[in-house]
Amino acid sequence: MTMLQVDNMTKEFGGLRAIDSLDLTIKKGMILGLIGPNGAGKSTAFNCIAGSFAPTRGEITFDGTRITGEKPWNLCKMGLARTFQIVKPFASKSVLYNVTVASFATTGSRKIAEEKAVAVLESLNFGDKKDILSGNLTIADRKRLEIAKALATEPKLLLLDEVMAGLRPNEVDEMVDILKALRDRGITIFVIEHIMRAIMALSDRIVVIQFGKKIAEGLPSEIANNEKVIKAYLGEDYVVA
Amino acid sequence: MLYIIEDMINGVLMGSIYGLTAMGLTIIFGVLKVINFAHGSLLMVGMYATYWAITLTGVHPYLALAMVIPAMFIFGYYLQAIVIKPIFIAEKNVREPITVIIVTTGIWYILDNLALLVFGPQYRSLADNPLKGKMLEVGGMFVSQPKLFGFITAIITASTIHWFLQKTVMGRAIRATSMDREAASLMGINQYRIYNVAFGIGAATTGIAAVTLLPFYNVFPTVGVLFDIKCFIIVVLGGLGSISGALLGGIIIGLIESVGPQFMTATWTEAIVYGLFLLVLFVKPSGLFGQKHDW
Amino acid sequence: MNHQHFNKVMIVGLLVAAFALPLVVRSATYMHILVLLLFYAYLTTSWNIVGGFAGVLPLGHAAFVGIGAYTSTILSLQYGVSPWLGMLVGGVLATIAGVIIGLPTLKMRGAYFALATIAFAEGFRVMVENIDYIGPLKLNGPRGLQIPPLETGLTSFMFATKEPYYYIILVMLLAVMLLTYIISRSKLGYYLIAGGEEPEAAMALGVNVARARLIAMAVSSFLTALAGTFYAQFSLYIHPKSIISLDMSFEIAFIALIGGRGSIIGPLLGAMLLRPVSDFCRIYFGDTLPGMHLIIFGLVLIFVMYYQPRGLQEPLSRMYQRLFTRKTLATTGR
Repeated sequence: MTMLQVDNMTKEFGGLRAIDSLDLTIKKGMILGLIGPNGAGKSTAFNCIAGSFAPTRGEITFDGTRITGEKPWNLCKMGLARTFQIVKPFASKSVLYNVTVASFATTGSRKIAEEKAVAVLESLNFGDKKDILSGNLTIADRKRLEIAKALATEPKLLLLDEVMAGLRPNEVDEMVDILKALRDRGITIFVIEHIMRAIMALSDRIVVIQFGKKIAEGLPSEIANNEKVIKAYLGEDYVVA
Repeated sequence: MLYIIEDMINGVLMGSIYGLTAMGLTIIFGVLKVINFAHGSLLMVGMYATYWAITLTGVHPYLALAMVIPAMFIFGYYLQAIVIKPIFIAEKNVREPITVIIVTTGIWYILDNLALLVFGPQYRSLADNPLKGKMLEVGGMFVSQPKLFGFITAIITASTIHWFLQKTVMGRAIRATSMDREAASLMGINQYRIYNVAFGIGAATTGIAAVTLLPFYNVFPTVGVLFDIKCFIIVVLGGLGSISGALLGGIIIGLIESVGPQFMTATWTEAIVYGLFLLVLFVKPSGLFGQKHDW
Repeated sequence: MNHQHFNKVMIVGLLVAAFALPLVVRSATYMHILVLLLFYAYLTTSWNIVGGFAGVLPLGHAAFVGIGAYTSTILSLQYGVSPWLGMLVGGVLATIAGVIIGLPTLKMRGAYFALATIAFAEGFRVMVENIDYIGPLKLNGPRGLQIPPLETGLTSFMFATKEPYYYIILVMLLAVMLLTYIISRSKLGYYLIAGGEEPEAAMALGVNVARARLIAMAVSSFLTALAGTFYAQFSLYIHPKSIISLDMSFEIAFIALIGGRGSIIGPLLGAMLLRPVSDFCRIYFGDTLPGMHLIIFGLVLIFVMYYQPRGLQEPLSRMYQRLFTRKTLATTGR
């Protein structure tokens, strides 16, 4: 069963090719990791899939439906949720308010939306902070809020853009556990991450891109020993030496 | 037929002056991403500065440029540095800080009414004006001389700003900031200083427009309001942030205003201007010559 | 007495005071000032639905006041239609106008919307000033329209004294404040605020930001036009410069911004603070220092934006809470 299928996706900005004929497949219930050096086009790929902008060429299929160029709010209602690399809370509002905005995606009633939001916050051990102004949260809590908002939309597929950047090691471990628990609840996860330790522990499969092109794909253990990947990350000299 | 050509020529000349008037607005928007509602007030300040410079020294109107350009640059630079910058810093996390727009509106109210208190409501025009009513005859057609000078000034100003932005270090820093202020500040560009300079350039450009206007236009405290709406329409027509767009947008307005009355009442030409504005918003909201819009 | 209970008592007390005020204020001049204060509070509260909650900056709301005033007045003068019915027709026409301006601009940077609303309002004023007739409809250009006195009473929307006007605009204000309260607690309210603060994040959470804003704009234009009819019936004389002026559009926005945009009480608070300032400045400095009240407006605006960018409502409600309810709030967000 395929949750997300990306065929031959290309995205150009002016003359610059940020994504070059990218193919991706994510099976239902798995965690796929996307890694690559800075500027490889990871966030651009996410933005194309999540509808922030349409790809220049290529097809995207989500849960059997073609979604190329679909608007983000419609994708959200179809069950595709995402987080942002630069977290964007509704800063003047409380944590609960933030998550309630998201849970309105599936209901029109404020009472139900708020109840759902509380449930999501509690499932992330975040319930005690629901009345805090989101603008005053720590980085770790902002990342957690970002995930809570995405979850409150009741997604089938979750796109996570560097939710562990800036976290302390013990917080990273906690986040890995949270994400694994989400997968075990049946949510498919597609994750961009820089912290190698985390992505290796987390992913069922990993895709590596460089200059917008896929250079490797496989199990975490295969990727860790892939020569091309090591070159991409550390440069030629390292491998030769 | 000759009349229409004559009208068209005068329309292009006047339109280029409109464009020059709007150029400062579009420069400031391009860099700060904020509509400066005090723009008309800057024009008013520039016109009073020109008026007093010429009246007190008795120089040729265009020589006032030497005084007005630096004076307006300094005025704009410090207006941004002292009044507007603190708001930007307080709202640096906000994508499109409405509070900054509002502060410029406050500046507008203060400047216009200060002018009213200091200079009184009366209309002033240059007493000793060598360009007054001067016409140039070309093949049986009459062309206003001060407007022709304004046209030439507008072209020179637009080209100079274009050159400055493309070729100088400061110009490139300004362009980098206007494209991506976060990336620019990561590369060591002090975005707030760039804002000061951009505001200074915008004000100085508006000062140039003031100099070209004064030989055939009165100055009074609310003169800026008359140009405000026109400038807003011009920059949307031309594309917010585009310098050549401002010039062309101005010329379009000038042409409609000068040729239109041949066929209809003046009211309807105004209606056509507003109608064109709404039409452009619907059909090509980024402006006739602008980049594609973003959020 | 817990704080919620106390708040309720407070609200009832204020309502009683508002309704009893005309019994105390006997001067027609002061009643006039009070009616205009409530009129501006009503306009600003209506403005706030789009300008406050949706996080965009409409600067041409006087156009909707004008549409409301002219529609009901023309219908009543030429066709004998009751102003109450004309009020609704004006509301519908204003809604259409609001949607037409909002449709292309509300999905772009806020600057476009602000400019489009100003240009629309100015364009509309220029048209009305220069047109005497549209087909059979008499607009009378810059001279405006005079409403001849009819038999007074609720059906004719015309009264000999100020008090009935006071009560009508008071009820209108309370209704629109209640509506704002309901919206702020609804899905639409959450979507407007989310889209106003972080449009991109909101869209990813299922919010069609442009559509939410457009709905807010439609509601706001409709409500604003109703006040236009009220103004026409109150002053019995409308002309383009008085009712479609840029000054009015900006004053509405200023009151909201200084009072506190996006809050329910902010617009009323702003009107209570600013209207008296401008009335008294006009009375005392009008001749000697023309424009003094506008300089004060500008300065107040800059200082409020500097120190209280969310308006004076925030420190004042904190003060209220400290004084009366002793409840420490960890958050100001609802």
